[in-house]
Amino acid sequence: MDAVITGLSAGFAVAFQPFNLSLVLIGCFAGTLIGALPGIGPINGVAILLPIAYGLGLPPESALILLAGIYYGAEYGGRISSILLNVPGDAGAVMTTLDGNPLAKRGEAGRALSLSAVASFFGGTFAVVLMSLSGPALASYAVTFSPSDYVALMVFAFASLASLVGSNSVKTLLAAVMGLMLASIGIDANTGVARYTFGIPDILAGIDFLVVVIGLFGMAELIHLVEQQVTGKLKPLALDKSFVSMKDLAFTKWTILRGSVIGFFIGILPGTGASVASAVAYGTEKRVAPNSENFGKGDIRGLAAPESANNAAAGGAMVPMLTLGIPGSGTTAILLGALLLFNVTPGPLMFEQRPEIAWGLIASMYIGNVALLVINLPLVGLFARLLTIPQQYLTPLIAVLAFIGVYSVVSNPHDLYMITLLGVFGWILRKLDFSLAPVILGFVLGGLFEDNLRRALSISGGDWSILVHSGNAIMLYVLAVVVVVVPIWLGRRKKKAAEA
Amino acid sequence: MADRVFAGAILVIALLYTYIAFTVIKAPFQYDPLGPESWPKLLGIVASLCAIYLIVRPDVERLKADLGTLGRLAVVVVMLLAYGRLFEPLGFLVSTWVFCTAFGIMLGATPLKAFAFGAVTGTVGYFACTRLLELNLPAGLLNHIL
Amino acid sequence: MKLFKTAAAAIIVAGLATPAFAAEITKPECIAPAQPGGGFDLTCRVAQTGLQGQFDTPMQVSFMPGGIGAVAINLFNTTRTDDPNAIVAFSSGSLLNIATGKYGQWTENDVRFLATAGADFGAVVVRADSPYEKLSDLMDAVKADVSSVVFGAGGSVGSQDWMKGALLLRAIEQDPKKMRYVAFDGGGESIAALLGGSIQVYMGDVGEMVSHIGTGKLRILGVMSDERLDAPFADIPTVKEQGYDAEWTILRGFYMGKNVSDDAYNAWVEKFKAAYASEEFAKLQKEKGLLPLNLAGAELDESIKQRIANMREIAREAGLIQ
Repeated sequence: MDAVITGLSAGFAVAFQPFNLSLVLIGCFAGTLIGALPGIGPINGVAILLPIAYGLGLPPESALILLAGIYYGAEYGGRISSILLNVPGDAGAVMTTLDGNPLAKRGEAGRALSLSAVASFFGGTFAVVLMSLSGPALASYAVTFSPSDYVALMVFAFASLASLVGSNSVKTLLAAVMGLMLASIGIDANTGVARYTFGIPDILAGIDFLVVVIGLFGMAELIHLVEQQVTGKLKPLALDKSFVSMKDLAFTKWTILRGSVIGFFIGILPGTGASVASAVAYGTEKRVAPNSENFGKGDIRGLAAPESANNAAAGGAMVPMLTLGIPGSGTTAILLGALLLFNVTPGPLMFEQRPEIAWGLIASMYIGNVALLVINLPLVGLFARLLTIPQQYLTPLIAVLAFIGVYSVVSNPHDLYMITLLGVFGWILRKLDFSLAPVILGFVLGGLFEDNLRRALSISGGDWSILVHSGNAIMLYVLAVVVVVVPIWLGRRKKKAAEA
Repeated sequence: MADRVFAGAILVIALLYTYIAFTVIKAPFQYDPLGPESWPKLLGIVASLCAIYLIVRPDVERLKADLGTLGRLAVVVVMLLAYGRLFEPLGFLVSTWVFCTAFGIMLGATPLKAFAFGAVTGTVGYFACTRLLELNLPAGLLNHIL
Repeated sequence: MKLFKTAAAAIIVAGLATPAFAAEITKPECIAPAQPGGGFDLTCRVAQTGLQGQFDTPMQVSFMPGGIGAVAINLFNTTRTDDPNAIVAFSSGSLLNIATGKYGQWTENDVRFLATAGADFGAVVVRADSPYEKLSDLMDAVKADVSSVVFGAGGSVGSQDWMKGALLLRAIEQDPKKMRYVAFDGGGESIAALLGGSIQVYMGDVGEMVSHIGTGKLRILGVMSDERLDAPFADIPTVKEQGYDAEWTILRGFYMGKNVSDDAYNAWVEKFKAAYASEEFAKLQKEKGLLPLNLAGAELDESIKQRIANMREIAREAGLIQ
């Protein structure tokens, strides 16, 4: 404990130097902007800006502080286009659209943006606090998660997401299976066999998640907007000056805490990240929160849960990277590369050999979260103004933003056709009362489920009992049963009480 | 009816998907008992069953969109495809300019305003992304000027 | 209709305006055939920084993910076959894909191999508290019962990560098909699985071990290079010197389209050779976790064709190709 306090205070001394402090602010601001572009999230934001940070010739701790600011900024920025435009800003912000966008459509964009900024702040800070208190212990726990435990985690995830079932459960199932089928395209991760690629090289490595998200959500939304405008159903929004109230915060405090805990623990596991975390947090919240029938129609809890979870997951992902030198996600792999570039070797030795960097980085995460809250709250009004742009300009602008997001990172023009076609498909699904979220969740979770199941069976040599061998797995199966059964039981009891 | 048509299309795809899973996908050798084909087999069968159920018991009768609206939407899709097609050859600036002008006019903006809007979006977008954020956007036609 | 006409006219203009590719290197570009942040990105950064100052304009790095490099090789065999400005990053993984036919019709004869950025080598890694103290302990255990050891690595069956394990088994005349092998998504997940005890042996790379040396959590039983490496790896014996004939070099380098003029190709080769001679380049390789292995031009081309031929043979033996 003493070591933590000494380390942290030394770290804050580094991070509070005016130069480093201004770098945090610049990083947060640039990160927010780049993260707000649909499709460009933390992973690409950091990868793109890394060479610039390196080129500036900054001392290592300053450069890393700048990158951490960008990382967090991009994580915060992802929610903006989700809420305002119904176009997910990045992989972790898909669930944010479900309740965030209905709020904005109802004229409460300011409230949604400010509440989600607070939720993000809480999730992010929660993760940093846990990391500084017990990072190494948590990381050692995270690596004990075996492939069979991941299978159990996926079962739990699907169980909690059963709450997303809409009016027609067969349609929900079909939507999820379509997502799973999309995810099965490409080279099989276990045997290297190409599946459903039909000799097209562009999809050998699978269909890019961002292309699916931007297409199904963003472009479908665009077509939907045009349709509403053509049929005269679209009403212009007045400038909305709503803001988060103390009452909102009091109402969502447990939601935010639950979201942060779920997000953090899923985040520290190598291989699962912000997208899984926010999905599970949303599903669980809908299951356990009282009076949850308005989820998906603009319930602020449905916004607070995924936003606290994805930021907590982003922080959690740093834990195994910093303490063990194991990157658990694409973004942390890039950050690890950045550390190595500056001759800093992450892992247990970093805290001994380069404490100013290790603790300076952690201190800058605290500051970064505060800075983001300070930057984001005043900007809420400005961002909300985006919605007052007349429709004949806003709609083309959405297309332009989506095209920039998809093209600028990978520069493949075929992706531009792909998002348009997926947009048509998404629009048809919406017209036929399918919900799109299960498609995306099937896509995210499907690959993890199949890969880990087959990994577990490779380890056991084909013995299925490996799936229930560990305490972690059994606990998760129990939790899965709980999230499915308890709400049903509660519902029955309520009904009985009403009848009596 | 709309549901049935859609479910029918999905059924065809799902059956094809399942057929491929049962016949084409094979690993030279594998270490897990499932291999690359079991998962797709399962998915294909579930998807086919769901589609059959929807054909038998559809719940959305019509698409609730008249032909005029559908026509307009088709134009939008064509415009988007054209924008994608021209994105690289014309470059971001010019293709965005053209696209925003055309789309803006279609949505009811006056030609002059739409033209100005396209110009601003193309130019500001290009420079903000390539210069400030170091993103990669095609220069296209203006390759030698930009 | 108006739009269509404008568009059609614009396409024609675009076609006319595109200059025929000259033989000079005016806008140097390195193409990383993957998402940002991976090994190909790193390879391109070596060229970008290492050749700095030899061009008037800074080299641009662009990304072209898709099909583990198939999209890029496809493009350079169809439209950009004579582009003198662009070099494309490759690794031994790409060579293996060529050898096993993953790139379809394109083979090693359809591109011009230009130069290397550096190399990395396979490493046999176990947990610090593993019962396998020496490589021979592990190999004896495998010989006694091949199914008693679970191997894991960051690539699928048939990838170069798997190949490293297969080569080890081949060295003691065991069938690689009998290996218990678990494919993870990248090195990070594999090391986590090793530390967590899901797998017993991790077939990794030397470069990624830098951050684990001296932590007391992992033990490297052998490196798969021909000769011992420099510090910090000088104490680790090679697999070969322990009596097992298994070597795996992860080569990182660049290729160009096959119709690039000799002038342009030679100009690039000269620039790389000039860079190899400088101390900064050696420092750069070290920073990027690469070990020096500097080959350019015809020398490289020859070495690569030899490598691919070897890979084909191993792949055929292992039953990956017919």
